[in-house]
Amino acid sequence: MSRGAATGSLDGTEAKRRHLRRAGWAVSWAAVVLLAGLPLLPSVTNATLFTLTLMLTSVGVAVNWNLTGGFTGYVDFGHAVWFGIGAYTTAILMSLQSNGPQIGWSPIPAIGLGALVAGLLAAVIGRATMRLKGPYFSIAMLGTFVAMREIVRVTSITGGGVGLTLPPYLNRPLFYYIQLGLVVALVAFTWWLRRTRFGAGLVAIREDEIGAEMRGIDTTRFKVGIFSFAGLSTGLFGGLWAYQNTFVDPDIAFVEVRTIDAVMGAMLGGLGTVAGPVVGAGALFWLREILWTNLLDYHLVAQGVLLIVIVLFMPRGLVGLVDRRGISITALWGRGRGRKTIPDQQEDEP
Amino acid sequence: MSALLEARGVVKRFGGLTAVDQVDISVGEGEIVGLIGPNGSGKTTLFDCLSRVSDIDAGSISFDGADITGHRPHQVARLGMARTFQLIRVYRQLTVSENMELSIQWGRLGVSGMFSRTDPDTRRRVASLLEFLLLARLRHEPAGALSGGQRRLLEIGMALMSEPKLVLLDEATSGVNPTLTADIADRLREVNRADGVAFLLVEHNVPFVADLCERVVVLNQGAKLAEGTPRRIMQNEAVVEAYFGADAEDAR
Repeated sequence: MSRGAATGSLDGTEAKRRHLRRAGWAVSWAAVVLLAGLPLLPSVTNATLFTLTLMLTSVGVAVNWNLTGGFTGYVDFGHAVWFGIGAYTTAILMSLQSNGPQIGWSPIPAIGLGALVAGLLAAVIGRATMRLKGPYFSIAMLGTFVAMREIVRVTSITGGGVGLTLPPYLNRPLFYYIQLGLVVALVAFTWWLRRTRFGAGLVAIREDEIGAEMRGIDTTRFKVGIFSFAGLSTGLFGGLWAYQNTFVDPDIAFVEVRTIDAVMGAMLGGLGTVAGPVVGAGALFWLREILWTNLLDYHLVAQGVLLIVIVLFMPRGLVGLVDRRGISITALWGRGRGRKTIPDQQEDEP
Repeated sequence: MSALLEARGVVKRFGGLTAVDQVDISVGEGEIVGLIGPNGSGKTTLFDCLSRVSDIDAGSISFDGADITGHRPHQVARLGMARTFQLIRVYRQLTVSENMELSIQWGRLGVSGMFSRTDPDTRRRVASLLEFLLLARLRHEPAGALSGGQRRLLEIGMALMSEPKLVLLDEATSGVNPTLTADIADRLREVNRADGVAFLLVEHNVPFVADLCERVVVLNQGAKLAEGTPRRIMQNEAVVEAYFGADAEDAR
C-alpha cells in the first residue's frame, strides 16, 4: 500500500469517527432536553416521574460500575454494596432520635456523608480486593456484598432486619431533576476523565497491568482511586434513593439485582465506553418494565436469556457496534487469567 | 565507567527450583551489555528481578545510586529503567499513538498533568519516535492489528518514550525478519550514541549480540557461567558446551 493510499484511508476513518462523534453529541443533547422537559408535560404523573428517577438511578450505578469494570477491567460483582452503605448511612443519620429534641440530620449533609462513608470504605476494601485478578476479584466483591448485608441485618443501629424509616418528603419533580442533573454531571465527568492521562492509564491497566506498571503507572493508586470514586458516587445514589423511598431494610438496600443490572446495562450498551452504560442501563430498565408487565412469571428467565445473547452475539454491546473502544466481558476475564501479581512492598516514592 | 545498574548475589526460587542463583551483574552508564544463555537458564527471570516485576529471595539491586531491592516496578520505571518483554506487552486495543502517549515519564507529572490531555510536546515526540521506528503510517491502527515485528518495534518505542537511562530488552529480535533485525540494531546504536541510553539485552540471536554489545554475560542453569567481550565469550569452552553439549567440543 502506498503511503498516500494509507493516509487517504486513515483520513476517511478519521472523518467517519468525526461524524459519529457529532451524531453522538446531537443525540445526547436531544436526550437531555427531552428528559428535562418531560415533567412539564401534563400527561406525566408523579408515578411516571418516580419510575424515571429509578431509571436514572440505574443508569448512574451502571456508569459508576463501568469505571472499574469497563475502563479498568475489574469486574465487580458486589458494586451494590456501596449503594446499600450510602442508603443506610443516610437513613441512620436522618432517623436519629432522642427523648428530647429532634436530632435527625437534614437530608443534604446526611446524603453527603453517606456518599463519603461509601467512598472511604471502598478505598479500604478496594486496597485489599484489588490485589486479586479476574474472577477472583469478582467473587471477593460478591463476598464483601453478602457479608455487609448480613452485618447490617444483625446490627442494632441499622434497625436489624426490620430496617429504618426516614422522614418523608414527597416532591417527585425535585427528586427527578436532582437525579437527572447528577447523571448528566457524572456522564460528563466520565467523558472528560477518559480523555485525561489518568483515564487512559485506567485503560492501560485493563489492557496489560504489568506492562502499565512497568511503564511508570502506579497501578495500585489508579485502581483504588477510581474504585473509591465509583463507591462514593454509587453511595450518593444510594442516599438519594433511601430519602425518596422513605424506608430501608437489608433486603431492599442490599439487593444483588442492582449489581446485575449495572453489569448487564454496561454489557448491553458497551463495556469500557462512555455512552455504553447510559444506553444499556436505560434500555434494560424499560425492557424489564415491558417483560415485567407481559411475562410476570418468566421475566427473570427472559433477562437471563438476554444476558446469554449479549455475551454470545453482541459481546461489545450496542455502542460497541460503532465505537471500537468497547471491550467484551470474555476478553476482560481472559486477560485476568494467568496474570502475575506485582510485588507490593512499598507504596511511596523513594 | 560507573555502574548504572548493579545487582549482587541475586537469588530467585520457585519452590524447589532455583531459577537465578547468586548472580552478580552490572551495566555501566551508556554501556550495551548482552545476556545470553540456553533456554531455561534464567535470563527472563533475572530481568523480572532487575525490573522488580518479581521479588527476589536474596541479594540486592541498585539503580542510579538508589537501592531498588524493595521497589515496585513503577518506581523503578520512574527512576529511568524501561524494559520490553519476551511475550510482547502492548495495549492491544489502543492505537499505536495512544500506546506511545501512555509510556511517558509518569514521575514528572503533577496532579494537573495527570488530569489533563496529552500535551503537544508529547505528541511531537511520539510522532518523531514513530518516524524513527518506521511506524508512523500505522499510528492510528490498534496495536493488536500490528505484525509481531511491528509490535516489537512499538514496544521498543514505548520503552524509549520515557527517556530512560537504561532499557532492558528481552529478545528484541525474536520473530523479526533479518532486515528489520538490522534496523533494530541500527536504531539501538543510534539511541545509545545520541542519548547515552544504556541497554541490557537478552538474546538468542548471538550475531546480533556480538555486533551490538561491548560485554556479554552468560547464564547457565540460573548461575553466571562467564563474562567478557563477545569475542572471548565465543571462544569460551564452557559456554560452547552449555549451548551445544559436550559433543560439540569433541567435534571441534
